[in-house]
Amino acid sequence: MADRSLVHVAFYAALIAALGLLPPVAIPFLSGVPITAQTLGVMLAGVMLGPVRGALAVLLFLFIVALGAPLLAGGRGGLGVFFSPSVGFLVGWPVGAFVAGWIMRATGRLNVLTSSAIAAAIGGIVVVYAFGIPGLAYKAGLSLAEAAVGSAVFIPGDLLKVAVTALVAETISRGLPAAFLSRT
Amino acid sequence: MIAMQIPGDTWAHRLPAGLKLVAVAVASILLFQVSSFWTLLPCLAAVISLYASLGRQGLAQLKLLRGLSVLLACLLALHWLSGTLLEGFAIILRLIIMILAANFVSVTTRMDDMMAAVQPLFRPLEWLGISSRKPALGVTLVLRFTPYMLQVFSMLQEAYRARTGSSGSWRLLAPFAIQSLRMSDHVAEALKARGGSDGLTR
Amino acid sequence: MAFWPRKSKQNETRVCDPDAKPFAVFENVGLEIAERSVLTGLTLRLTEDRIGVIGLNGSGKSTFVRLLNGLRTPSSGELSLFGVPATLAEPELPRHVGFVFQNPDHQAIFPTVEEEIAFGLTQLGSDKDESRSRARAFLATHGCEALADRPISELSEGQKQLICILAVLVMEPRLLVLDEPMTSLDALATSRIRSMLMSLPQKIVLVSHDLSHFEGFDRIFWLEEGRLRMDGPPHEVLAAYRADLDIKLNNKLELVAL
Repeated sequence: MADRSLVHVAFYAALIAALGLLPPVAIPFLSGVPITAQTLGVMLAGVMLGPVRGALAVLLFLFIVALGAPLLAGGRGGLGVFFSPSVGFLVGWPVGAFVAGWIMRATGRLNVLTSSAIAAAIGGIVVVYAFGIPGLAYKAGLSLAEAAVGSAVFIPGDLLKVAVTALVAETISRGLPAAFLSRT
Repeated sequence: MIAMQIPGDTWAHRLPAGLKLVAVAVASILLFQVSSFWTLLPCLAAVISLYASLGRQGLAQLKLLRGLSVLLACLLALHWLSGTLLEGFAIILRLIIMILAANFVSVTTRMDDMMAAVQPLFRPLEWLGISSRKPALGVTLVLRFTPYMLQVFSMLQEAYRARTGSSGSWRLLAPFAIQSLRMSDHVAEALKARGGSDGLTR
Repeated sequence: MAFWPRKSKQNETRVCDPDAKPFAVFENVGLEIAERSVLTGLTLRLTEDRIGVIGLNGSGKSTFVRLLNGLRTPSSGELSLFGVPATLAEPELPRHVGFVFQNPDHQAIFPTVEEEIAFGLTQLGSDKDESRSRARAFLATHGCEALADRPISELSEGQKQLICILAVLVMEPRLLVLDEPMTSLDALATSRIRSMLMSLPQKIVLVSHDLSHFEGFDRIFWLEEGRLRMDGPPHEVLAAYRADLDIKLNNKLELVAL
């Protein structure tokens, strides 16, 4: 069912966009921390769709941003964002979604909550930062250590998003199991 | 709905999208070679005058820098701490020039023109037996889903508030995902009923 | 499950006969979804121009009409559409069968009216510019040229559903299947859409809960729990259905049974 796959990919790309547009009041415990809810969408795409479709969803989202839709959190968009110092994180997103989806499948014997927490933490944090920090260091002419220190402020927020991803994935696996595509 | 483009029909709007994309690519390669502060300053002046040529609406676009200012200030502080302040200035100047130049293309090019300009890049998909229309259709679907999802979320928030008195927060995310996923299944069905993403010309 | 489908053989020969009479033949057709039986033992020959489908919620109406355009395939029995087995006909069905859904928000894919109409034409192989100009001309023949540039999200419910119907008609199907298309419309919009439907040259299969919509129809199917309870001319079937409803209403009202 290729059309359903296309629609699902588009769906998660739209979810990433919508999470960037939701008013911050929607996620009160996250406000005040300099983070965007969008990586939540990236984690969910990988965890829910599996490696290939999850990565495609993120790529589709970034493609639309590049076409000129201001869909990154804070209303940023267009080609400019791909020249900003944080571009490494954006590059890490599709890879992170891929890894999260792959882990989801590889840990298919664990329960959904544990499995998706591991997948989101490794895909959404470890992998994304593995691209983001060198990218920042290179773009801003910093050392890796400096770039890592500069990025560390985002980690607490990202850990919260791992927890939310796991809870959401677990709820969907009970409430609408047919939508849980990463393990099929 | 969601757009960052400056409405209107200036000289920059009339340039072909493909040409503008090539210009940005060339500019980024050239700028990469430059590290002297004194060469970068006139470049900054040039890119700002591009915006100025679009009139007041063009200059208003420079507020983009305000959003970046915190990040750029942090980077500069890191450079200052490691004693490379001058180098840091040049790097940040180069970042600003490049971001402004790329953004200039985006604010003066309609999204469908941009899509049409990059469409040929998807031609190779046909060799793999994949319709090259798929990416464009995917873009359309995302732009259609996004406002709908925001609507679903605010409806859920209202229903939650009506029953609990407090606003919904992250607890609504799972029901939100489930409701929107159901909608996406309907859309998939409707798309298939009209011949699917490959069309009917096979 | 592969994400991108391989394109099937080029130059596929057409197998359907759009003028086949009857256009659909059901031989003991059954359908199960997730091990639950949704349709059982349907044996029917569809030839009439105007066919209505009635039944309570969950009676299998929506599933039944989805068999007609390949959105569902039978799990038992034999179904042939336009003269060939349904599985063979499936790739061609979207061009012969137009399908209109209950909620126009689920059907309209594109941001503006013109793009929505033009999509059907690009599906049939027209290029973008040609589709756009033909879409405009098509809207004009239906008196809707003023809507061409409007965003679909800003239209009234009635206009939205009209555009969804036109978006399907522009592909010139032989059969139009409508699954409760008037549910969210007011009385005026309903009557306009109904009279427009009745004037179409296409064969029509209409699912509706409002029995007045079947005026001028040739044949009605009454489905109950996935089986054909009754099949015949409207005055007979509708009268029997009304009488049955009255009996059910007079029985003690049990909310659980809804």
